[in-house]
Amino acid sequence: MKRPLPLFTRAFVDSWRSTLGWAAGLAAAIFIYLPLYPSIGGSPEMQGMMDAFPPEMIKALNYDQITSGPGYTQATMFGLIGFMLMTIASVAWGAAAVGGDEESGQLELTLAHGVTRTQVVLERALAILARVLLLVSLVFVLILLLTDSAQLNIRPENLLGASLLFAGLTLLSGTTALFVGAVTGRKTYGVAAGAGVGVLGYVFNAVGRQSQEVDWLLNLSPYSWAYGNNPLANGADWAAAGWLWGMSAALVALSAVALSRRDVGT
Amino acid sequence: MPPAPGNTTSQAITVGSLTKKFGHREVLHGISFGIEKGSVFGVIGPNGAGKTTVMRCLLDIIRPTSGTSTVLGEDPRTAGPSLRRRIGYLPGELFLEGRITGRKLLSHYADISGPVRPGRVDALAERLGLDLDRHTRKLSKGNKQKLGLVQAFMHDPELLVLDEPTSGLDPLVQQEFLAMVREAQANGQTVFLSSHVLSEVQQAADEVAILRDGRIVTVATVDSLRQGAVRHVRFTANGITAADAGALLAGVPGIGHLEVLPAGDGVELSATLGGAIQPLLRVLAGLELTELVLEEPDLEESVLELYGSIRGNGSGQTDADGNGRRRRRRGHGT
Repeated sequence: MKRPLPLFTRAFVDSWRSTLGWAAGLAAAIFIYLPLYPSIGGSPEMQGMMDAFPPEMIKALNYDQITSGPGYTQATMFGLIGFMLMTIASVAWGAAAVGGDEESGQLELTLAHGVTRTQVVLERALAILARVLLLVSLVFVLILLLTDSAQLNIRPENLLGASLLFAGLTLLSGTTALFVGAVTGRKTYGVAAGAGVGVLGYVFNAVGRQSQEVDWLLNLSPYSWAYGNNPLANGADWAAAGWLWGMSAALVALSAVALSRRDVGT
Repeated sequence: MPPAPGNTTSQAITVGSLTKKFGHREVLHGISFGIEKGSVFGVIGPNGAGKTTVMRCLLDIIRPTSGTSTVLGEDPRTAGPSLRRRIGYLPGELFLEGRITGRKLLSHYADISGPVRPGRVDALAERLGLDLDRHTRKLSKGNKQKLGLVQAFMHDPELLVLDEPTSGLDPLVQQEFLAMVREAQANGQTVFLSSHVLSEVQQAADEVAILRDGRIVTVATVDSLRQGAVRHVRFTANGITAADAGALLAGVPGIGHLEVLPAGDGVELSATLGGAIQPLLRVLAGLELTELVLEEPDLEESVLELYGSIRGNGSGQTDADGNGRRRRRRGHGT
């Protein structure tokens, strides 16, 4: 009896420990940060502290909206801790999917079976997508549940939009890692490229927000595409979401082409 | 010898003028051979000779630079998954790292290969003495190899491509493996296996290709290798002088390394025989023998001579590993 999508199933199911670990980390971050909003972000003392900090630092950390519920959630979860955790998870999965598997010598045996290389890339990319969506759904649900008790005042449709941008943004780092792994057959290069997209996106956003002379950097920052208009407060920029998801789809397709065209395991 | 076109139907594998370059380094220099359906074909050669590269080309894991290959009547470059379902492959370097039991891993490979008969996996695991419920990364080298063998054999493929299949196996399991190969052959399956020592191949294979530095030195049946191989001869005889015995033996074709010592009223003599036995027996029949030892031919030695003759300086003996000990390779895919 053949199971459908055997490579997807193996990639998705075999990594359940890792998925569970990332889920626990994200949940912990949400439960630590968000309930503190009424006593930190929303307090008048916080506004006073914010005024005392250098404005450059406030902008770099995206703390300019931190005294509102959506701004606080954006700055702490989607913009910092959540972004970091999800980017690392996504890059690790992306780099392992082809480059890591090839480097460890296991891809050769898989490819000697009744599968195509395109199928290997697509099913494994699907497994990355499924895990990212699973974790982002968890983030969405937990924040939704905490909205009232933590007085976050986030509209559910904005939370949904921000979650999709969050997924698209972190997935882009993962598909970059997948692509570079598929081209080079090396896990390290995949990790470096995926992490590079995440880190540079963050840095370009932080620097680009400082002044108009350098705001062109924002155009190069996926982080800024996703979060530039404060989606939790103002609703998602759907064009940006389309870009992020579209680029990931293109990188997956290019990964399939790259892997199909070269020798494996040399 | 490039196979004539048209005889591919009786051949499971046909390779013609296959070359492979990695960058500027050419590791296969136009290799040609054919493997009859239902036969067991061994390729031997020292590490780095190109055995793994040939096998990887047949599985479309790497692509040849030029030349043709036909596997089960199809071009592996274009045939796709349907062809590979008909093949069982054991890679030369088997890495199984997952936190997954052998049973689950095999069930995964069954999902992406040809159909596996119910009970087949357990039967193979029992034959090889493999515990399927342990996590693969905790398995010893030999047990991983067994898992790899089960994976290659379990769907009873038409063609088995096995790269150093006995590597890491203890002698008892090696015997079981040879029995599996013979059964596969009796089943009509074709087996293509490699080794860097002949002793592992000679018991299983009908034909052997000797590969060295990306070229085929010779393709021969094990029988003809055996005929061409060197035997050691020792005997003692009475009533003959050392000089007479020496002269008599020197007249036998293929005799070499002749040593004659007087012993009592006769001689003690040792030599090597590189040709047919019959002429020697005719000479020996006229002697008053008290003892005679005619050893089995040492194929290892004759193959080492072939390696050495290609190298031209006779250093093959010291370099190639003639004792049947296996040397592990890491990280070079030729």
